Amino acid sequence: MLIVSPSNLHYPITVTKLLAQPEDNVQRNDKLFTYEYAYQMLQQDENGDDYEVVKILDTDYQCEIKGKLTTWKIAVDDEIKGPGLALVEIEEPCRHEVQFAGMCTICGEDMTEISYNQSTPDTHRASVNMFHGNTALKVSEAEAFRTQDEAMRRLLSKEKLSLVVDLDQTIIHATVDPTVAEWQNDENSPNHEAVKDVRAFKLTDDGPGVRQECWYYIKLRPGLAEFFEEISKLFECHIYTMGTRAYALHIAQIVDPDRKIFGDRILSRDESGSLQAKKLKRLFPADTKMVVIMDDRADVWEWSANLIRLPAYDFFVGIGDINASFLPKKPDADTPSPKVEKIAETQASDVDEQEVKDTEAAASTNGEHVGGHEHTDSTQQAAGDVSTLEQLVSMGGGDNVEALKEKASKQDEAIAAQLADRPLLQQQKILDAEEEKANQAAADKDQNGEAPDENTSHEAYRYRHNLLKDDDEELIHLEVALRKVHATFYNEYKQQKAGHPGESHLSLLPDIKNIMPAMKERVLRDVNMVFSGIMPLNVDVQMSDRALWAKSFGASVSSDITKRTTHVIATPQRKTSKVRKALRHPNRIKVVTEAWLFNCFTIWRHLDEKPYLIDFGPDQQDVQNGTDTPFGQEQALLSSEDEDSGPTTDADDEGDGAPDVMTGRNPGLRIETGEREEEDEEDLSKYAPNEDEKSPMTPMSGDWKGIDDELREFMGSDYEDSDESDGPEDSEMDEAGETNEQMEQQRDNLENGVHRKSLPVLSGKRKRKRVNHSGRSTDGEDSDASTALSNDGPNLRRPKRKALDRTSSLTNSNLCTEAIRGGSARGDGSDTESLALERAFEQELQELSDQLTEEAGTPRTEPNKENSELLNVEQDEG
Amino acid sequence: MFFIHDLERTINLHPSFLGPNIANYLKDQLIADVEGTNTGNYYIICVIETTKEPSGRVIPGSGITEYIVPYKALVWKPFKGETLDGVVTSVVQNGCFVEVGPLTCFISRQSIPSDLKFDGNATPPQFTDNAGQIIERGTHIRVKLVGIRTEVGQMFAVATIKEDYLGPLDM
Repeated sequence: MLIVSPSNLHYPITVTKLLAQPEDNVQRNDKLFTYEYAYQMLQQDENGDDYEVVKILDTDYQCEIKGKLTTWKIAVDDEIKGPGLALVEIEEPCRHEVQFAGMCTICGEDMTEISYNQSTPDTHRASVNMFHGNTALKVSEAEAFRTQDEAMRRLLSKEKLSLVVDLDQTIIHATVDPTVAEWQNDENSPNHEAVKDVRAFKLTDDGPGVRQECWYYIKLRPGLAEFFEEISKLFECHIYTMGTRAYALHIAQIVDPDRKIFGDRILSRDESGSLQAKKLKRLFPADTKMVVIMDDRADVWEWSANLIRLPAYDFFVGIGDINASFLPKKPDADTPSPKVEKIAETQASDVDEQEVKDTEAAASTNGEHVGGHEHTDSTQQAAGDVSTLEQLVSMGGGDNVEALKEKASKQDEAIAAQLADRPLLQQQKILDAEEEKANQAAADKDQNGEAPDENTSHEAYRYRHNLLKDDDEELIHLEVALRKVHATFYNEYKQQKAGHPGESHLSLLPDIKNIMPAMKERVLRDVNMVFSGIMPLNVDVQMSDRALWAKSFGASVSSDITKRTTHVIATPQRKTSKVRKALRHPNRIKVVTEAWLFNCFTIWRHLDEKPYLIDFGPDQQDVQNGTDTPFGQEQALLSSEDEDSGPTTDADDEGDGAPDVMTGRNPGLRIETGEREEEDEEDLSKYAPNEDEKSPMTPMSGDWKGIDDELREFMGSDYEDSDESDGPEDSEMDEAGETNEQMEQQRDNLENGVHRKSLPVLSGKRKRKRVNHSGRSTDGEDSDASTALSNDGPNLRRPKRKALDRTSSLTNSNLCTEAIRGGSARGDGSDTESLALERAFEQELQELSDQLTEEAGTPRTEPNKENSELLNVEQDEG
Repeated sequence: MFFIHDLERTINLHPSFLGPNIANYLKDQLIADVEGTNTGNYYIICVIETTKEPSGRVIPGSGITEYIVPYKALVWKPFKGETLDGVVTSVVQNGCFVEVGPLTCFISRQSIPSDLKFDGNATPPQFTDNAGQIIERGTHIRVKLVGIRTEVGQMFAVATIKEDYLGPLDM
């Protein structure tokens, strides 16, 4: 080791004598040479006056290491001008490059001892921690490079690459909710099928916390065994998880009982070294040319180019990642998880007070409810976003013991909450309640036909109402992608090698960091996309999770529709102004659901947009809300900026009516808007409980698609139908003596031209609805009306055709546009209310559509015929 | 190396334990407290006997009774240069970890005879000379300690097998 002049001497110094000769063995603190230096000092004369003198002092230089002196770099009388100059070369017997728990592993010396003249502690010589499962063993950088070099050569010889695998929500989904065990044992449970292969293990935590033992339920991502079977031939797999070591070992035992796939290559948070981020450097300190990562979160990897990001595996709906408290908060709590969304919708639109309270309680205590992976934050935040600051704070929270403890206790709490609240059970209860309702409805319908058959109807709904669905296919696509990456890498490598025979082959290695992004960027290269109605309002679109993900696949993301825009990613629920703009260029811009985007990410191909196109109906102006789910939890949280006020507002005057969307009307997040709100709530409570909120548009298995199409048709027709029947129903309403203030007000609005179109429809609907109720309760009064109207479902087909033939609807809509312009100019108050009405209208539609779906499922002819006749009569009147 | 060591332990007893079984309570408490612990210098393997009936002292103000219990214990203190038998727990590229009872040792690759080569492609990874000698997870192995370091409650050692009669044992 070359000894250089240290920084703490009084330069310049002049060497006066060398005390050791080459080939001498020197010990630490032995004197190597003596030197002189000039020192300016103050002295006092006899009068007490200061004067400066320069003194030449001499001293000796002591050696800071032991070893054999090989060569002197200095000679007697040399002047050393400053620090950092070579003095002497000493060959050490041991360089202490690998240290274990503060000892050199070769000589066994204690490295933690520090002597007074050491420039750096010996422990700094080996500072790189690169081994799985152990933090005590450290190596020097040079040693790390050597080690990895060797490992890479070994991989090359086997034509393998490294694959770093995340556990939670990537290859497995874990929960501690004991409901799972109950479902497993109960063959009659609707979820039995899905959970029967869930594995369980008991984990005893010896931490200081109260939690002693806890059963963990592990669901493997479908196709996992086959995936690893194939992939382990091409990749050397490592586990890198934020779970504890014991947890990771248990999972490894389940995933890989023979220890063939992962062996000992398991890195858990106990050894990770960082509680916030995952770093490839931890395992591959030298270089990451041959490493591929699979994870469901990109932020923890800082969007590493080695990463293949999978959509999170969310089997136990609403549970999230049980080890998430050890990672920074999810930037968008909105990563693609159609199931969660589905549930969110379900819950949000289920306004049955008690249930909402239940879920809310579950959400707030559990903290990681619907889209949220935050554990202790409020529900509002759970569904929303996490500020950068917060993320920084949580990152800065640092790698100290307290932070660790805090997080561990946070996790303990979360787990305890999960155990106590049983979020799965709660959610299933909600679904069951729905089912109950649906059955009720079915039974009602059956009443004039055959006797209600509980069993068959139960069977029919069983599939529909199980909470857990086992329908994930990501791994199949991932395997294809990984194979491609592997093949590309080795093809390139072989080409390089053929071109440069004889050269050291490690320098010729292609880099995964170039190969994979290049492959990915081809996927959506010519796509310029705009997100609409998907991101929360206050999120920087460019930096959002989705946008970054899309960009990693080569797409460009704009915040507004431009000339280059090719795709608009939207939700079928809302037709925003951007969507409106986009729809004006049907040939250039495709309006697709998020599913398209995520499937492209999954399959690594620019998929045909056709199945994903959002059909906002034939008439852009009219069929706004008629399609889908009334209002989900999401809706209230999403950007309202580009949301139109009313169903028919033209995109140009969007600014007018924006504020009304702020009256987020979901149970979890409520924004006070004053008295109007109460009215709205009243409205809602009238309608909501009877609504079956299962969204027909949410992506489901193929069987449902047909129904969906049919349904969409019905919806349209229903709408037209309502439109047509405005007149008579209005008069009906008068007859019924609707005189309460609210109605008056609505009609005022109506007359003032706010939503001239939707309002009358709504009032009509209201009327009809009441009738429905009485029909169901079989009071007898109004019964003729009810039989006439309660089953107005499938027969609407005919009216629709009729309606389409007519031109009147078109003129109507034009009128309506005019009316809306007037209305939105008028002010916000009425808007708020009209929105409520609109929502109620949506719900009505929804309910109707659900009835339709049910009817589509169970063939019934008799009553329909009657109804259709009746309806026709009604139509004609209109 | 194992020793029989005379030790003392201070035990505080709640007044509810004062009664005819007090000697048993004390012994149970002693065993629960000290067996299997690491004092920093040695491990206390087991308590052999309590050497004399202790007499307690009531702590003024709290009612707690303090007993100073003298006992004989079997202790194990590893020494630098000592040869020990252990079991390999994990093999990495730079060496392998061996557990000798409660003590974790690391054997560096430089301390493994050079004919034993690391084979990372094997499952599990191993050091082997392709002639019957294999060091992998679970292998019984005889090592010689070259360094010991203690921290509070913890002990680590570095070992070597690069000497005669050291290395994997035929079981």
